[in-house]
Amino acid sequence: MSQPLQQKNTRILLRWLPLVMLAGSVFLYFLMRGHILHMQEEQLHLKQENIWRAFTTNPGGVAPHIRGEYDIFPETAPVIPVSDRPRDTVLRFPGCPSEAFNLLTSRLTYEGRSYLVTTYISSTEVTHLIIKIALADALIFLLLLGAVVIVNRKISRSLWAPFYTTMDNIRGFDVRRHTSVNLLASTGVEEFDRLNQTLRLLIDDVYQAYRNQKQFTENAAHELQTPLAIIRSKVELMIEGSALNEDTAQLLGEINEANERLSQMSRNLLLLTRIENRQYPEVETVDLSRLVLKQTMFFRDYYADEVADTKTEIKPDVQLITNLSLVEILVNNLLRNAYTHNIPGGYVRVWLDHAGFSVENSGPPLEGDPTRLFDRFRKGREDSRTTGLGLALVHQICQLYQFGIRYGYQEGIHHLSVTFRSGG
Amino acid sequence: MKLLVIEDEPGLLTSITRYFRKEQFLCEEARTFEEALEKIENFQYDCIILDINLPGGSGLQLLKFLRQDKKRDGVIIVSARDSLDDKITGLDYGADDYLTKPFHLPELSARLKSLLRRKYNEGNATLDLYGLHIDLTARTVSMGEQPVPLTRLEYDLLVFLITNKNRVVSRQAIAEHLYDGPGDQAPGPEFVYSHIKNLKRKLKEKGCKEIIQTVYGLGYKLVT
Repeated sequence: MSQPLQQKNTRILLRWLPLVMLAGSVFLYFLMRGHILHMQEEQLHLKQENIWRAFTTNPGGVAPHIRGEYDIFPETAPVIPVSDRPRDTVLRFPGCPSEAFNLLTSRLTYEGRSYLVTTYISSTEVTHLIIKIALADALIFLLLLGAVVIVNRKISRSLWAPFYTTMDNIRGFDVRRHTSVNLLASTGVEEFDRLNQTLRLLIDDVYQAYRNQKQFTENAAHELQTPLAIIRSKVELMIEGSALNEDTAQLLGEINEANERLSQMSRNLLLLTRIENRQYPEVETVDLSRLVLKQTMFFRDYYADEVADTKTEIKPDVQLITNLSLVEILVNNLLRNAYTHNIPGGYVRVWLDHAGFSVENSGPPLEGDPTRLFDRFRKGREDSRTTGLGLALVHQICQLYQFGIRYGYQEGIHHLSVTFRSGG
Repeated sequence: MKLLVIEDEPGLLTSITRYFRKEQFLCEEARTFEEALEKIENFQYDCIILDINLPGGSGLQLLKFLRQDKKRDGVIIVSARDSLDDKITGLDYGADDYLTKPFHLPELSARLKSLLRRKYNEGNATLDLYGLHIDLTARTVSMGEQPVPLTRLEYDLLVFLITNKNRVVSRQAIAEHLYDGPGDQAPGPEFVYSHIKNLKRKLKEKGCKEIIQTVYGLGYKLVT
């Protein structure tokens, strides 16, 4: 799973640093302990040496026992084996808590007699020392861990800053709107400079390709118009000809129908491309109430024999500052859609107020995915009658003016509504 | 009637002239700016059908020259440019009408005749046919003394058919003519049939002859 860079960085640090630090602490502990034991041994030997020297130079002047310091015992049989290594022990003295000691026992001879000399050194202090060092070590390691994480975050934040700037800038990139993407030429980091440069080239390429494609669509659609117009006029001359019989009439009818569809399709494609290219910059105050009423009346009359009932709720004086041609197409295509995809004896209802425009109609259920309703060349059942571009045009116009558009279907009723200035 | 068709596309040019020659129009052709300019300066026409994109110059320029010379030839612009701007500029320059390519020939014919009517029978715009009287100003139809109540679409349909009488008019041409919305977005022609049916019924009820024929499902023809 992907995580933010900072988080990932910190996680890795937090996973590995404590392990390294733990290993370091263990190592330190053993090192310290070894050194301290060694030091104690040295001290015991030294003490033994001093005491023995004092004992032998002044026999009788030195007490053979000092509690917690040393014991000198003249050796009696049986002879016990003595190692020359320090040992641990716990001594109890009356009135005192028991205490841990390190002791060293050696067999030494003086004037023919053998003595067992034991020297003691308290190990409590040493244990305390080791605990204190371990605590200090833990504290230092914790502080270090914190410091490393914080410093690391700070450094990577400033190191990656150009990267985040680039990301923010390209987020606004929209090939359709030709937004300008402002990428720094020099970020101070070579890799990011290269990244920005690559992105700039990429974006320019994308724009160029997109422009070419649009230009091509526009040119193709435009150039198609002339031959289509010629075919249309020739067909119109032919249907007047005297040579017309039922057979040729049918053929001509089919040619004509196909030609008309082709012609309408290419004009709609042209229109779509032009809207995408924002070639309709002229705006004016459009009296939407009048426009909707006029168009609804036309469709009502035109489809009177099929759609029995048209109801309108049109608020007067709804005005919109917009491009007249585009808003006409918007209203027209929504209405035409409602009337053509209807059922015999069906109905259409039209609402208009200051918030939006909506059309409801009876009709057969939608075939296919409703979310793809506004796609180009998506068609309902009336395949041969429509170009499949009408609602795509509506969608494109809504997008241009940032109108909201919604489609709903329930039990044979389709509802399409447009909200003006979506999101305020 | 004398007509000048200025159009650089030969396929369209011959279609237009052939169509109008059938109605006894005297048609002249011009394919380039210079050719057109020469004809405009030397002759007078009842109507000029003018394309805007011409080799050698703009049709709008020709229109400007024509109106500067105070010539009152009727002018219908036909242009592939369909932006509103061109239309407004064209009408500002003194064109009488504007038609976007591709157009239906019966539509051009209807516009042409309406222009000629405005030009020559001012204040007296009526059509008479087999006792059918149509007042184009008041938009009313009567048969003898009896008014024939027609819907707006039926009225437009009747006038369109009369204007193109004795010619076959395709269903598509009718649908586009009846349509009164933004360019290129006319509804399909499948409902033209019901309006024809209603129109025929209403005319018959008032005792008018059966003048509208169906031509093999292709279109309709008003015969005289």
